[in-house]
Amino acid sequence: MFTPLKRIISYGFKNFKRQPTLHIATIFILVISLSLFSSLLLFRSGINYTVAEIQKKIDVSVYLKKDAPQELVEEIKKGLTELDEVEKVEYVSEEEALEEFKERHKDDPLILESLQVIGENPFYPSFNIKARSPGQYAAILTLLERDKFKDAVLKVDYAKKQPLIEKIFKITSGLNLGGLLLTIFLGLVAVLVTFNTIRIAIKDASQEIAIMKLVGASNWYVRGPFIVQGVICGVLASIITFFLFFLLCYFSAPKIVALTGGFNIFAWFGSHALSLFVFQLGLGIGLSVLSCLIAIRKYLNI
Amino acid sequence: MIRFENITKIYPPNIVALEDVSFEIKKGEFVLIVGRSGAGKTTLIKLLLREEEPTGGRIFFEGKDIFSIPRKRLSSYRQKIGVIFQDYKLLSAKNVYENIAYAMEVMGACEAEIKRDVPKVLELVGLEDKAYNFPAELSGGEKQRTAIARALIVRPEVLVADEPTGNLDPYHTKDIIELLQKINSLGTTIILATHDRDIVNSLKKRVITLEKGKIIRDEEKGELLF
Repeated sequence: MFTPLKRIISYGFKNFKRQPTLHIATIFILVISLSLFSSLLLFRSGINYTVAEIQKKIDVSVYLKKDAPQELVEEIKKGLTELDEVEKVEYVSEEEALEEFKERHKDDPLILESLQVIGENPFYPSFNIKARSPGQYAAILTLLERDKFKDAVLKVDYAKKQPLIEKIFKITSGLNLGGLLLTIFLGLVAVLVTFNTIRIAIKDASQEIAIMKLVGASNWYVRGPFIVQGVICGVLASIITFFLFFLLCYFSAPKIVALTGGFNIFAWFGSHALSLFVFQLGLGIGLSVLSCLIAIRKYLNI
Repeated sequence: MIRFENITKIYPPNIVALEDVSFEIKKGEFVLIVGRSGAGKTTLIKLLLREEEPTGGRIFFEGKDIFSIPRKRLSSYRQKIGVIFQDYKLLSAKNVYENIAYAMEVMGACEAEIKRDVPKVLELVGLEDKAYNFPAELSGGEKQRTAIARALIVRPEVLVADEPTGNLDPYHTKDIIELLQKINSLGTTIILATHDRDIVNSLKKRVITLEKGKIIRDEEKGELLF
């Protein structure tokens, strides 16, 4: 049992050593495929980060009447909190709004002076609502359209922000969909290119496969060394790709931070290094071994 | 032991390689298959190895129709037949030693057996000093002797040789033929396809003559007439 396995592994390594050009070409193609997949992973993380950052900046304020009954205010808050679409509801009292305004304009005496001229607090209590997705504001705000809340709600600034929110929603969902389609398309290209390279390499060995079969070798005895060669190529390709990505992330980090408004690619690489390597290793070995198994099938029918 | 029953092989579009060929070879026999190039000798060997399927007819090996053997068990069947191919069929990525050892490995021989037997066979065919050369570094005759060594090493029940002396000088040819005779005397069935008149006439064995895919003569102690 172990002797054939030992021989298969040993032949795999020997063949790898004896046909360096063929294997270097396969590794090169595998590195390209793995880089493509890893770039897509990085690209999607970057997009997700940017989209989340943009979404963080969107909220809708619901201004309440100064004399709104407390229990109604509580009821609105409860109603909003209970909605699945709502991520966060924050109540800002008129005093807090005033303090915040003062803090924001503390270096502008003219504005502070004008506040004093007004005499009373010009701000209204409000709810700051953050939805889980920018597309959900309209649904959330239908809650406030109920008749009983009319005594408490003064205005909602949604109408003013609506075009902007919808535009952002469109862009972010477009980016997500585009990223997904790009991943599928380029992923398919990578798989096909790898498969084709390995197919050609195996075709090159078809004569040898036929001889092995005619000498009386079983299918697994013929297939085995090719699988070992595939594993070696996959492992080497994933190590090379991982190292290339380390360099890429290290050197491009400052530029990417500036481009995405804070996405630190090198920090991302640091926190995902292990899973990225496991992903590349699995994909590298999987792609080459699977391509090898599919490509060798027809030559074993002798 | 081996029985060809109405074997016909037609290659597309309409090239008849073998037509209604029937004969039987008994265990321990030494049979020569002779005929001009294109007479169907190699096709006959390909069919016996089940490298190809016939258009019609059946081949029996030890009473069993070889075309009914499931693919999974084909390797065990082929291990019983040692073949010296006309075009050598050596594994280019393996050296002479490994090519010969490979035939033993597929049969599950252990390392000790391989280390014991391969040098002996290499000596027998006179390739001791070429053991670590690759096929690309060998002459035609050396390749042929490697192929012979690979076929011999597994001590097959049947040894099929397709023009095994085609690339050998008379000195080596004589050696190889003597070797085949010796193996035959130990009980191995030999099928030798050749068009070398000297070999055929000196051996005085059964000769099956093929012409344009048909058996035109099958005689004991036959001679090559053309």
